[in-house]
Amino acid sequence: MRRVRFVVGAFLTVLWTASLSAQQTTGGVHGRVTDAATQQPLSGVTVAIGAKSALTQPDGRYFLAGVPAGADSLHARLLGYGPVAQYVTVVAGEDIAVDLTMSQKAVGLAEMVVVGYGEQSAGNLTGAVTQVGSEKFNPGRVIAPAQLIQDKIPGVEVVDNNAPGGGLSIRIRGTTSVNASSEPLYVIDGQPINGAAGRGPGGISINGQDPLNALNANDIESITVLRDASSAAIYGTNAASGVVLITTKSGKSGTHFEYSGSMSGSSIDRIPQMLNAAQFRTAAAYYDSVNATNVSSQLGNANTDWYSQIDRSAFGQDHNFAFSGVEPATNWRLSVGYTNQEGVIQASSVERLTLGFNLQQRLFNDRLDLKANLKGSREDDSFAPNGMLSNAAQMGPTQPIYCDTCVSGYANNTGYPSPSNPVELLHWATDKSTTYRSFGNVQADYRMPFLESLRAVLNMGFDVARGNEATFYPTFLNDQLHNNHGTQFLQNPSSQQGSLETYLNYAAPLGFVAGTIDLTGGYSYLTAHAEFPSYTGTNLATNVFGPNGIAPTLVAPNLPGQSIQESKLISFFGRATYNLNDRYIVAGSLRRDGSSRFGPDNAWSYFPSISGAWRLSEENFMKGVSWVSDLKFRASWAKTGNQNFDNYQQYPTYQASNGGAEVQFGNTFVPTIRPGAYDSQIKWETTSSTNFGLDFGIMDNKITGAIDVYNKNTDDLLFFLPAAGGTNLSNYAWTNVGSVNNKGFELSLGWKALQGGGNSLGWTLDFTGAHNKNEVTQVNPSLGTTQIPVNGIAGGVGTTIGVIEKGQPINSFFTCAQYYQGGKPVENVYYNAAGTDTVSGCTSNKRASHDPAPKWILTHTSYLTFGKFDASFTLRAYMGNYVYNNVASNLGSYAELGRGSPFNLNTSVLSTGFLQPHYLSDYYVEDASFLRMDNIQIAYTFNWGSTPLRVFGNLTNAFTITGYSGVDPTAGANGIDNNIYPRARTFSAGMNIKL
Amino acid sequence: MNAKNGMALAVAAAALLIGAAACTDTTVQPKSTVTDANVFSDPSSYQQFIARVYAGLALSGQTGGAGSPDISGIDEGFSQYLRLYWEMEELPTDEAVIAWNDIGLPEMNTGLWNSQSTMVVAMYYRVLFQAQMANEFLRQTTPDKLAARGNVSTALAAQIDTFRAEARFLRALSYWHGADLFGGIPIVTEANAVGGPPPAQNTRAQVRDFVVNELNAIKTQLPGAGPSSYGRATQYAVDMLLANVYLNDSVYIGTTHWAEAKAAAADAIAGPFSLNANYHYNFLADNNTSPEIIFAITSDGVHTQTYGGTTFLVHASCGGSMNSATYGVDFCWWGLRLKQEALNFYGAGDGRSSYFYSAGQTDTVTSIPNFNNGVAAPKFQNVTSGGQSGSHPTFADTDFPMFRLAEAYLIYAEAAVRNGDDKTTSLGYVNALRERAYGNTTGDLADTSALTLNFILAERGRELLWEAHRRTDLVRYGLFTGGTYLWAWKGGQELGTATQSFRDLYPLPQNELAANPNLKQNPGY
Repeated sequence: MRRVRFVVGAFLTVLWTASLSAQQTTGGVHGRVTDAATQQPLSGVTVAIGAKSALTQPDGRYFLAGVPAGADSLHARLLGYGPVAQYVTVVAGEDIAVDLTMSQKAVGLAEMVVVGYGEQSAGNLTGAVTQVGSEKFNPGRVIAPAQLIQDKIPGVEVVDNNAPGGGLSIRIRGTTSVNASSEPLYVIDGQPINGAAGRGPGGISINGQDPLNALNANDIESITVLRDASSAAIYGTNAASGVVLITTKSGKSGTHFEYSGSMSGSSIDRIPQMLNAAQFRTAAAYYDSVNATNVSSQLGNANTDWYSQIDRSAFGQDHNFAFSGVEPATNWRLSVGYTNQEGVIQASSVERLTLGFNLQQRLFNDRLDLKANLKGSREDDSFAPNGMLSNAAQMGPTQPIYCDTCVSGYANNTGYPSPSNPVELLHWATDKSTTYRSFGNVQADYRMPFLESLRAVLNMGFDVARGNEATFYPTFLNDQLHNNHGTQFLQNPSSQQGSLETYLNYAAPLGFVAGTIDLTGGYSYLTAHAEFPSYTGTNLATNVFGPNGIAPTLVAPNLPGQSIQESKLISFFGRATYNLNDRYIVAGSLRRDGSSRFGPDNAWSYFPSISGAWRLSEENFMKGVSWVSDLKFRASWAKTGNQNFDNYQQYPTYQASNGGAEVQFGNTFVPTIRPGAYDSQIKWETTSSTNFGLDFGIMDNKITGAIDVYNKNTDDLLFFLPAAGGTNLSNYAWTNVGSVNNKGFELSLGWKALQGGGNSLGWTLDFTGAHNKNEVTQVNPSLGTTQIPVNGIAGGVGTTIGVIEKGQPINSFFTCAQYYQGGKPVENVYYNAAGTDTVSGCTSNKRASHDPAPKWILTHTSYLTFGKFDASFTLRAYMGNYVYNNVASNLGSYAELGRGSPFNLNTSVLSTGFLQPHYLSDYYVEDASFLRMDNIQIAYTFNWGSTPLRVFGNLTNAFTITGYSGVDPTAGANGIDNNIYPRARTFSAGMNIKL
Repeated sequence: MNAKNGMALAVAAAALLIGAAACTDTTVQPKSTVTDANVFSDPSSYQQFIARVYAGLALSGQTGGAGSPDISGIDEGFSQYLRLYWEMEELPTDEAVIAWNDIGLPEMNTGLWNSQSTMVVAMYYRVLFQAQMANEFLRQTTPDKLAARGNVSTALAAQIDTFRAEARFLRALSYWHGADLFGGIPIVTEANAVGGPPPAQNTRAQVRDFVVNELNAIKTQLPGAGPSSYGRATQYAVDMLLANVYLNDSVYIGTTHWAEAKAAAADAIAGPFSLNANYHYNFLADNNTSPEIIFAITSDGVHTQTYGGTTFLVHASCGGSMNSATYGVDFCWWGLRLKQEALNFYGAGDGRSSYFYSAGQTDTVTSIPNFNNGVAAPKFQNVTSGGQSGSHPTFADTDFPMFRLAEAYLIYAEAAVRNGDDKTTSLGYVNALRERAYGNTTGDLADTSALTLNFILAERGRELLWEAHRRTDLVRYGLFTGGTYLWAWKGGQELGTATQSFRDLYPLPQNELAANPNLKQNPGY
């Protein structure tokens, strides 16, 4: 640590000397710079008089000292604004106040963008950073905040989850990891949120619900995504998958009360295509004729559409109240939100209450800026019972729903194995959870009196979450009669995280040479603790307890489980930016991270970045090109890390046996402990990436956009691979061996086509396009392993559909090429590996082909205004993404009719005629390219009395055009459509009032 | 500098020093996760750890049935040590055939495996897994480590000494299996560090010498036989293992050690074991009470649950018109039957074939996947000698007799005959087995002239059928490969065909050759 102290000391010494020289002055000037139109403070404005210059602070203030007495011109300059000048007379020994206003010239360039440990003007960014403000957020019923920016940023794929409150996944510039998480780091109001369990955005997730449901979308001001590694590198070992910075709303002006609310109705979009009763009878008759059986005798006489028994038109409501105020030294915002959203599958719903409080207080002549951000939420979730969707697919449509003589009151097949009556499950089984989460931080930002350009920032944050889930499956359910005989599952996960970050920032013109410098250096300490206690009881003696309490069991229950996860991350970071007249900008950052997830040899590592920007539009040779209003070239390189994987992998751990795995010693049984394989040298996955970009504005920035190309190489990927016999404590171990490459292209374009205003039409069009190519470049150099099977499917025992193979994209489908005759797949006949001949069976002729990731994502959003009306719509297209239709493959052969009792079949069997299942036929790997209207909104704003009122209606998931035959072409990151929650189409209407 | 500035500087310095001087220790010790740092704070961990080395033979993982497998890359049930060892010793011989088509199994019936065959690969890793479990026990229980922990009583330390000898016995046992199946494999001991470089390859002779030296070194540290040592290594288990190694030294090192084999067998025979009056009681759910078993891989329906071991043998031997309840289990798995040659081992009156099940079964195996081809041989059953079902309908109570007195008799007899001495004692041993088999003296050999090597091989087949000795026996007799002795499906032909001699050894796994550049594949593969 000596070295760090030395650096800090040297830094202070420099500043100290600077302040000494400042004492030789004879007069001073200070004041605030604001936007002429909005009256909002302008930050980063260069204010100069004579040889003295300074940059304005985030609150628009500037301070100039040591100015020679006398009259001189005070200049202010800011990218994107017209320069201003004003004559002032400086009096020796006095400090005069001069406030300035500036007018915007080119839209967007001076907008402050949140970056890691600070802000930067949009025009001076050297990396690929996109900020989306609340005005451009997706409308409609949004529960998880990531939904707000879906389709808005090129290269940022928000992976859908159709369940209400379901966890969304974000992929920034492709998948960078296989076994660690590829989720980005979330930073909320400057506070990094990442959990002790090492995955996703902190908190806890019960049944895959989004942990960020705790943050009400209505409380979010803006979301910024750091896509390229150089801007993310200041977050070091958590930055390899990109960084999402969320800023929450604070008081803006005056004292206000706001209400916004909406009601919604949702209906199911698509369900799996299963045989109806008549088709099912025909299929059974055919099966009997082929196999000389009498399956038909097991069919009932009913005609039941099982999906219609478990889906519904779902109602939803959302109410948000916000109080906010701004006083001279204070601004605050207090918000309360209530959301209740039913799912389109019965028994699934989310009900959420959120609280938000933001307070900003300026003290000591505005030197000390205190901010407190506090969020809290309670979320009550209800889930469709496990297996209800798959049973609805499997249950024969000729079976009746009810049974007067049955214990449960519901009919089931007599044979076994058999599907279970999904309505019985719906009626009797329960799965509910409650999750509490609160996070917040207090930030003190102190501007040094001896050196106005130096700020010290101290940021302390917390994040606590607690949840409980209780599921209950009574003894008399069809499946429980054969397995488990009644099941209770209880869990009470909890997590806590604390963070302390402190840094110094110095931003000022250099003085001795032209240009300004911005220096940041600091320290960060994160500690996290999580516990995951759980209990499973089977063979219940009674059903009377339901999900409450613990029912006695007839045989010894499984031991309750408890896992405690703790982690620490300690970091030193620094960044320096040099800006010469907004024309040349060079920046570098360095982070040194120490993580508890690694052994002493690998605990610490450096993550550097370097980037630069060149504003060509400032150069003389561009002066004549008047239609180009702004043109900037960017280049960057950085190394980032990924430690989002399990704790304690560097330790030799012992696993205790359960009661069924003891050993007989004489006449007693002795439990055992087993040391597990481990790699004491385990370390982060590292990503080196380069990015080249071009930001442009055309015709006074009427058209703005950016083009980026990037190349990311991720090394030391964690894989679970064979270890040489005798070198470890098992034949497989986790170790850092693999590599993957992502390269791609991104384009974003914004066009203010029509200015609008009054009764004329205004129209702004935003486009994004992104292409990513993912390739596994190394699986295991020392071992002959070239293929790792991944992604289990339903069907068979241990069947996997994906592969990690060198030269192929991550999660490529590993199937056999189906042979067709007359357009019809020939059962069990495939092409050989070389594709030159046909063979029977799918074994060694499996090959990697197609993968779930879209090759291209294209989006478009239009914003229209006309008089008091405004409207918007968002379109999304994926190209080259593939989905494995697991419902079709698992229930795609007549053999399903011959099981313990007949299972219903997917309609694909009518095309294939398969008698036996062929899970690995690429017939089931479908091109899932699509065009989707994600949302349409129309709103009308008027005055009700003197109160401005806005009413709106919107439709989300309006339509999808696709050739894919399953439930949803966006079937999760691994592209497996196995009874996934169906997508809802939602219409909502609501209003906003601001008093 | 004025006071205000000084204060500001102090604030700045404090803010920075919070960072610079703050904790930079990244260590977080696991809490709910047990590591080698805290596991031995519990003195019972030593016994639980040595139990784990035994579990390597009996179980497939840390969860009863399946759930937390020891080795990866193969279905957990398939991965169980005894199940793999049994399949490798029985399926390619004249004794057994298995119906299933699971990847890696069909080639075991025919002897046409390759270096990627799942069962072969898994067995290799099982051997080294066993060695590493024993090694880690030895690493964690050195006198230095025990002293450093400071919580080991004198009594416990003495126990641990015995445990260490048991660990070395179990390691030697697996290395014997390894040398017998694969030939030259790396000898990994407690001296090799975990996570170290790939180990060097040893010759088959070196592995054999390692086994013999280890056994000789530990024999006196192990207890004699007694009620508390059932299921555990004893001096007599050492004798039996040594006898087996010496008996096969002609194969392992090209030098015969018949006298040593006979002496070791005699040592075991001198122990407190006696023939069970009922041959079949050695293979039933309560066979832990049999006085004949010298070393068993234990199994228990409630406490020691696995889908391998005798659970596999009981279930897989059942199918066709057999009633699973008769054998004490809930389902038949429709797998194992006799090849016709094994059926023909037995003459009329030999009670050792009395449990065979032939209703609806053909004598010959025309179709391997068809359970009705080949007579079923439910030798291992999950019912007690009193006819009671075992404690669990899925998991068998039946222990697997890895060494029993009858085998000691037969080793003694074979070594004596090969060495040309003491045939009279041998004749007595053999006739003891035959009298038990026939229930009277009608099956007895009249005199020592009938005690030929071929007779002993046939008698081993009859007495030790399906006890995982057959491949080793056939190799020793030079009959396993080649065309001298053909049996059904040998070489992939229904009537059998000659196979190449390199198949006397199994291949090293192909992936292992890439992972460990020190390894050379066995010739022929």
